[in-house]
Amino acid sequence: MLGATVLSFLAPAFLAGALAAAVPLVLHLLKREPEPRIKFAAVTLLKHAPVEHTERRRLRQLLLLALRVTTLVLLALAFARPFFVSGGAAAASGVTVIALDTSYSLSAPGRFERAKQLAKDAVARVASGELVGVVTFADQAQIVARPTGDRVLAASAIDEAVAGFGATRYRSALSASSQALEGRRGTIVIVTDLQENGWDAGDRASVGEQTTIAVVDVGPLPPNLSVAAVRPLPDRVIATIHNGGWESTDARVHLTVDSRPAGDATVSIGPNQSADVAFAGPARGLAAAVSVDDPAGIQADNVRYAVLGAAVIPSVLVVTGSGDLSRDAFYVQHALAAGGGEGVGFQPAGMSAAQLSAAGGDRLATHAAVLLLSTRGLERRGREALAAFVRGGGGLVVAAGPDIDGDVVGDVLGEEANLRVASLPGAKPEARSLAPADVRHPVFQAFAGNAATLGLVKFQNAARISGRACQTLARFTTSDAALIECPAGAGRALVVASDLDNRWNDFPLHATFVPFLHEVVRYVASTRAHTAEFTIGDAPTGQRSPGIVTVEGGTPGAPPQRVAVNVDPREAESSRLSVDDFQSAVTHLKPTGTSEVRVEARQQEDRQHLWQFVLIFMLLTLVIEGFVASRTA
Amino acid sequence: MPWTAADRSYLDPSVVARLGTLELKARTIVEGFLSGLHRSPFKGFSVEFAEYRQYIPGDDLSTIDWKVYARSDRYFVKKFEEETNLDCHLLLDVSGSMGYGSHHGMSKFEYGACLAASLGYLMNRQRDAVGLTAFDENIVAMLPASSRPGHLRSLLVALERLTTAHQTNVAKPLHQLADTLTKRGLVVVISDLLDNPEEIIRGLKHFQFRGIDVIVFHVLDADELDFPFEHASRFEDLETAEEITAVPGAVREHYLKQIGDLIERYRRELGASGIDYQLLNTKHPLELALLSYLSTRARAL
Repeated sequence: MLGATVLSFLAPAFLAGALAAAVPLVLHLLKREPEPRIKFAAVTLLKHAPVEHTERRRLRQLLLLALRVTTLVLLALAFARPFFVSGGAAAASGVTVIALDTSYSLSAPGRFERAKQLAKDAVARVASGELVGVVTFADQAQIVARPTGDRVLAASAIDEAVAGFGATRYRSALSASSQALEGRRGTIVIVTDLQENGWDAGDRASVGEQTTIAVVDVGPLPPNLSVAAVRPLPDRVIATIHNGGWESTDARVHLTVDSRPAGDATVSIGPNQSADVAFAGPARGLAAAVSVDDPAGIQADNVRYAVLGAAVIPSVLVVTGSGDLSRDAFYVQHALAAGGGEGVGFQPAGMSAAQLSAAGGDRLATHAAVLLLSTRGLERRGREALAAFVRGGGGLVVAAGPDIDGDVVGDVLGEEANLRVASLPGAKPEARSLAPADVRHPVFQAFAGNAATLGLVKFQNAARISGRACQTLARFTTSDAALIECPAGAGRALVVASDLDNRWNDFPLHATFVPFLHEVVRYVASTRAHTAEFTIGDAPTGQRSPGIVTVEGGTPGAPPQRVAVNVDPREAESSRLSVDDFQSAVTHLKPTGTSEVRVEARQQEDRQHLWQFVLIFMLLTLVIEGFVASRTA
Repeated sequence: MPWTAADRSYLDPSVVARLGTLELKARTIVEGFLSGLHRSPFKGFSVEFAEYRQYIPGDDLSTIDWKVYARSDRYFVKKFEEETNLDCHLLLDVSGSMGYGSHHGMSKFEYGACLAASLGYLMNRQRDAVGLTAFDENIVAMLPASSRPGHLRSLLVALERLTTAHQTNVAKPLHQLADTLTKRGLVVVISDLLDNPEEIIRGLKHFQFRGIDVIVFHVLDADELDFPFEHASRFEDLETAEEITAVPGAVREHYLKQIGDLIERYRRELGASGIDYQLLNTKHPLELALLSYLSTRARAL
C-alpha cells in the first residue's frame, strides 16, 4: 500500500452523473426490437456478399453500447476532477509527526543529541503501517520530512537537524505539524525542553480534532550563565550577566571591541540572579561583544553584541525662533537631555525656523523627532521639509504656544490631518488643568497610576486645537483638547495646546514635565528605525545567527545603520511548563484539518490536470463511436 | 427493327395491374399495342381471300386493290386468311421467387402471367398455335399448343389458376419440354432465372439444338435491380425461407455487382447462342416485351 498511488476526486458529487451511463443501456433494452423481415427473391446473391451476420452485428452493437457508456462515464469523471494522491497521503492509517525543538536552549553540550535520540525513539515507536514526518522548530518551523512510510528517511532528517539560535515558539511548531498531517488522523510528538517562554502571553495553538499531542521532555536546563544585556554608554560598557543555575558562581566576563580584547572582569552572581559588569573607559570602535565563560551551559547565549556610537542616543531637533535653546527653550533642552548619561535621554539640537527653511530637509533625516516651538521665519521650503519628514515616518511635536502660527502648522500636516490651531491672545486667562483621556496611551503609560499628578499643572492660556483625523489624548478641565495625535503619512504628530517654556503654564516646573516630554518624543519617534538591537527572528535582514549587521535606513535618504542581532534572552530562562500546561494551551478544532485537506487536494488536482486527459480520451471515444455507428447504421 | 418503341406511351404496369381479368389485361395491352404501330404486324401468308379493309397508314401498298380504288375512289386493302405455321410455347416460371413484388404494382409472377396472356392473345390473333407450360422445379401445368379459336380462353383460364409456391429448378423442366417438342417453333421463357445460370443456359441451348427458337424474358423486380433498402433487415428467401441479416449499405455494392454479372452473363452467353434475351423490369411496360417477341417471330418465319 505504501508508495502506491490512489485515485481521488475533487468534486466526487459529479460522479453521480455517471448514472447517465445507464441511459444508453435502458434505451438499448427498451428499443431492442428485431430487424424488419423482408421476403426477397435474390437472397442467393446475398449469400456470398460481405454479409454482416447477426453475431458480428451484435458484437458491433455491444461495442457501440460500451463506447457510449464509456463516453458518459468519462464525462462524469472529468467533471469530478480526478487526481492521484500518493498512497501515503491516502492511507487510512494514522500519521505521526515528530516536532523537534531546535531552539538555542538545547545547545548545551550533549543536550541536543539527547533530544535527537528521543525523537528517533519516538519514530521507532510508531506502529507499523503508520506514516512518519519530521518538523523542526524554534521561532520558525520547517517540515523537513513529509509523512512517509520510510522510517530511515525520518531518522535521517532528525540526524541532520542542528540546534540554532532561535527561541522556542510552540505555536509555529504545532502549525507546521498540523500542515504536515494534512488533516488526517494522527499524533504530533513534541520533543522539547518545555520552556515556559515558548508560549507568548495569551498565546494558544489549534490542531485538528483527530490530532493527539504527545510531549517528550528533554529535561530542565543545566546550570547556565548568559549575557542578558549589553549597554554601551559614552564612558563605559555595562553588561548584565544572568546565572540560571541553582548555586552561586563567579562568572568570568570578557569585552571585545571590533574583535579586539578590551577588558575582562569577574563577577559573583547568586543563584537565579543577574549582575551588572561595568567595563570602564569609553569604548572606541564600532561594535562591542561581551562574552562569559560557560563551557557546560547553553552556548548560544554566552556572547552578546552591541553597536557603539552616537546613534545610541537619539537626536531631537528643537525648532525655535532664534535657534538658541538656552534662551528660547531652556526647560525643553534640559528635560530632553535628562538621563542621557544612562542611555535613556535624548540629544537635543537647536535650529531656528529660518535656518530650517534655508537648510531644507537634509538636516532633518538624522533626527529621531522634531520639536516645533516657533513658526516664525518658517518659509514654504521649511514647511515642505517638515511635511516630508513627517510623511516619511518622522515624529513631530508641536507646542502651540504664543510663537506658533496655526496656519503654518496646518500646512505642515496637510489635508489628511486637517489640523486647526487657533490661539486666543485676547481671551481672558483662565486656570485649567490637564487630564489624560486615555491613560493606556503610550504617552501616559509611564505614569502608571500617577497620571493624576499631571493635573497639578496649571495652564493659564491655551490654544484651541482640533483636527478631523486627530485623536484627543488629553483634555483641559475646560473640556478643550490639551493634547491631540494627528497622523501624517508614515509618521505622526502630537500637538500640545500650550507652550513648553513656562509662559502660558507652569508645566516645566513640575516633576512630571521630564517624563512627559520624554514619552511624547519617544512615542512620535517610534515609527523610525532607530533601534540598534534586534533579536534573531526579528532582524530586518533575516539574520539567523548573532552578530553585527548593516541595514538600510528607515526613511529615504537615511544612511545605512549598523545594528546588533542577538539571541532572545528569554530563551535562557529556566522556568518550565508541565505537560498538562502545554496540553491546555492547545485547542482541538474540527474544521481546521478539513480545510487544509481541501486546499491540498485542490493544489494536487491543479498540478495534475487529469480532467483534461479524461476529456481528450472521451472525445477520442466519441470519434470511435461515430465511426462504429456509421458502419452499424 | 421494323417497329420501334421510341416515343411511345405504353400502359404502366401499375395501371395494368388494376384491370380486371387476365383476358382484359391481354386484350388491352395487345390492341393498344397494335393500334399504335405505324405498320401492320399482320402480313399474309395465305392466298385465301378473307375481306376488304380500308387502308390505314402503314399498310403494305402492294395489298391495295386498285380496281376497287378505280370504282369507289377509296383505298382498300385485301385481307387474306392467314395460315398457322408457327408453334409457340409459353414457359412461365411459377416458383416461389417469382412471387416477389415490390410496391410498384405487380409481382414478377403477375407480370409474367400478364405477359404470357398478352403473348397468347397476340399469337392467337395471328393464328399461331400457342401452348403454355408452367414450371417451378417441375412442370406443374401444361397446355399443348393449338390455334383453335377457343384455345385462348383455355390458356387464360390456365394462367388464372397458377400460383407460386415451390422452389426453382429451371433447367429440369426446360430439358423435359425440349425432349417432348417435335415440331420446330418458338419457345418463350418467362422467368426470373434465379437459379444456376449454367444449367439454365444449357437447358435453353437444348431447344436451340432441337431447332426451336427461344426468347427469354428475364423478369426482375425493380428492387432486385436497384437494391434500394436502407435499414438493416433480415432477408428471407421466398423459396427456402433461409434468413440472412444484412446491412444494405454494406452489401449493396456487392449485390449489384452480382446481379449485374448474372444479367450480363445471360445476355452474353444467350446472345452468343442465338437466343433472344430480354431483361424486363416489372415497372416497365409490357409492350416492350411484345416488340421483342414480334421481332423474333419475324426472324423465325
